[in-house]
Amino acid sequence: MTVTSTAPGSTEATTGGHVLRVIGAVVDVEFPDGRVPAINNALHVTVDSGEGERTITLEVALQIGDNTVRCTSLKPTDGLRRGTPVVDTGAPITVPVGEITKGHVWNATGDVLNADPADITVTERWPIHRDPPAFDALEPRTQMLETGLKVLDLLTPYVQGGKIGLFGGAGVGKTVLIQEMIYRIAHNFGGTSVFAGVGERTREGNDLIHEMDEAGVLKDTALVFGQMDEPPGTRLRVALSALTMAEYFRDVQNQDVLLFIDNIFRFTQAGSEVSTLLGRMPSAVGYQPNLADEMGQLQERITSTRGHSITSMQAIYVPADDYTDPAPATTFAHLDATTELSREIASRGLYPAVDPLTSTSRLLAPEYVGKEHYEVATQVKQILQRNKELQDIIAILGIDELSEEDKIVVARARRVQQFLSQNMYTGTKFTGVEGSTVPVTQTVESFKMICDGSCDEIPEQAFFNVGDLDDVYKKWDQLKKEA
Amino acid sequence: MPASLRELRQRRNSVATTMKITKAMELIAASRVTKAQLKARKSDDYTRELVKAVSSAAAYSTVDHPLTNDITDATRVAILVVNSDRGLAGGYPSNVMRATEGLITRLRDLGREIDIYTVGRKARDYFAFRGVELAGSWTGFSDDPHYRHAYEIGNRLIDAFMRPTDKGGVDSIHVVFTRFQSLVTQETEIIRLLPLKIVEDSGDVAESPDVALERPEGFVPPYLFEPNPETVLDALLPLYVIDRIKYMLREAAASELAARQQAMHSATDNASTLIDTLTRQANQARQGEITQEINEIVGGAGALSESTQEI
Repeated sequence: MTVTSTAPGSTEATTGGHVLRVIGAVVDVEFPDGRVPAINNALHVTVDSGEGERTITLEVALQIGDNTVRCTSLKPTDGLRRGTPVVDTGAPITVPVGEITKGHVWNATGDVLNADPADITVTERWPIHRDPPAFDALEPRTQMLETGLKVLDLLTPYVQGGKIGLFGGAGVGKTVLIQEMIYRIAHNFGGTSVFAGVGERTREGNDLIHEMDEAGVLKDTALVFGQMDEPPGTRLRVALSALTMAEYFRDVQNQDVLLFIDNIFRFTQAGSEVSTLLGRMPSAVGYQPNLADEMGQLQERITSTRGHSITSMQAIYVPADDYTDPAPATTFAHLDATTELSREIASRGLYPAVDPLTSTSRLLAPEYVGKEHYEVATQVKQILQRNKELQDIIAILGIDELSEEDKIVVARARRVQQFLSQNMYTGTKFTGVEGSTVPVTQTVESFKMICDGSCDEIPEQAFFNVGDLDDVYKKWDQLKKEA
Repeated sequence: MPASLRELRQRRNSVATTMKITKAMELIAASRVTKAQLKARKSDDYTRELVKAVSSAAAYSTVDHPLTNDITDATRVAILVVNSDRGLAGGYPSNVMRATEGLITRLRDLGREIDIYTVGRKARDYFAFRGVELAGSWTGFSDDPHYRHAYEIGNRLIDAFMRPTDKGGVDSIHVVFTRFQSLVTQETEIIRLLPLKIVEDSGDVAESPDVALERPEGFVPPYLFEPNPETVLDALLPLYVIDRIKYMLREAAASELAARQQAMHSATDNASTLIDTLTRQANQARQGEITQEINEIVGGAGALSESTQEI
């Protein structure tokens, strides 16, 4: 545990060391005196696992004294044995940046996956460890990013060039919503998109590539994958690799960039998987003690500089639906808008299953979205909150016991809840209903009408899975015909 | 879902308190419903005799009496809504209001003007909330009505009925009330109180078979009326109307208490289910917290000993 000497910083990437110890994804390497590599340097080991040689990349995480460094491996360590020679590359892991990254799929170490490496000419590589933009370079402007999804635009308006988090437990629709956002925003977006698949299902990544290809946006998108079959070292770095590519577009090409990360929790999880092996004492709930630091280093880089933005959308898995878990809790503070997905709403079949009461946005204030929008959003929340409070009474005494005012609140709350669901483009294959885009002005107006009671006579079902109020009336007519 | 332990316990306690109330109310309603039931049946003898007398007098009367004149095209109609004063009686108040709304729409469609009289706070508040002006309302005795209440209401209604229509009178009076059938079933009913319908051939006074509580059986004795049947009818009909109203108030009171007993019973059941669920969740949360703490201590100790070994 005692880091006795800071590494002299080996500038010559020549003479290597040898493997001292292998524990799963963590490898100790001993170097000759004076040639100990610096923290975050990439090391290469060549392993003959019987099916040909392959190179394993290690990244220096700790200096543990006695000329020994402790590294995380970015590849499975099977075939590695003590004494295997290790080469210090003298630099951190680098990934290709620039035009070449678009339309291709990469892994964390910057190898192309959907093309023959021989066909790819990489002109520039950037190290994945970089400093966040300087304090005075940050973008002070705040502008709303319209998504056309009622619930998001109304209750958690997204910030252009901001950080947006989609929180949710397992299977409530995080990935679907991320893909919906890619469809809605990336399709109408002139700039470049970068997608980072961190520790999620490989199949979903595959689906995404095909969908993007069909939609014709793949050529403007760089995808970086380190999915759940990868060792923790990769999952810990893949977000940084993607971010580095995004930063290049922002800083060098002066573009607006969309960065999608699915799923940031896997980054934390990977860190926690290697943390104890690296010799750190587990902290709350067994997470790494430097949880907030690790998250901060990543999140502080995802930011907009003057004139050029990175708008990022991050899916965040919430273990056991517990929002107080340290991993989602540390992520909260970094975000401009948080969209929380709720199992309860998903179980009622209302998608997107956004929890209207816990989801918030920095932007939801009269000076940004306008007075009317703010008031309607507040009113919607009030109605839903009152409805929630009344649920216990209803459960015990029945709805008849409510006062006349409360009965109306409950009726409107039910309509609001139904109206917060919406037909989505990516949901077309599940529901058979084409998606819809509702302009934010119309969203505000529609909800205002429901809150004011102008729609009290329309049955609840008419509000389910529709776009704007016109669709509601259409559905109502249809319901009347069927009845 | 692991919610905070404190929150779960708080909710459980509040539900438990609610359950105590509903349980107490169930017991109170249960003891009172028997009394109310007895009261509702107590005046049966009087009613029977009264009906007999009215039917006899009506059978021998040849003159059209305003109380018995069947008006087919009324312009203004009064509705007396008998509802409860207090809630916590399940669907009882809203069933009455639903039936009333139905009646109002029906009469409106016929082009009638409607005066509404209410008994019970629930009915009064219902119309007050909707901004409907009431012609009269009585509150405070819905679960224990007395003759004097019926007397007051009856006189008001007869008065309105006797007045000419252009001076604010009404042509007919309907009553919405709840009939007590058993402890588990109570039925909302709408009857026409005035004008009375006289069924000539049997000599019965009846708008609907159930209002004439029991038909006079057999032969109607050939009474001699002094000074004449009309005068007797004049004197008898208000008594009859008041008696009908009292009867309906008592039925409604018994129904209300029965409905309350049932509602409170199921509320108590619901509350105890909710308590079970909350207790389980609270226990889970507590166990989760304990497990996590043990985990952290053991994990921490393990990591510590490992790192000291190394050094």
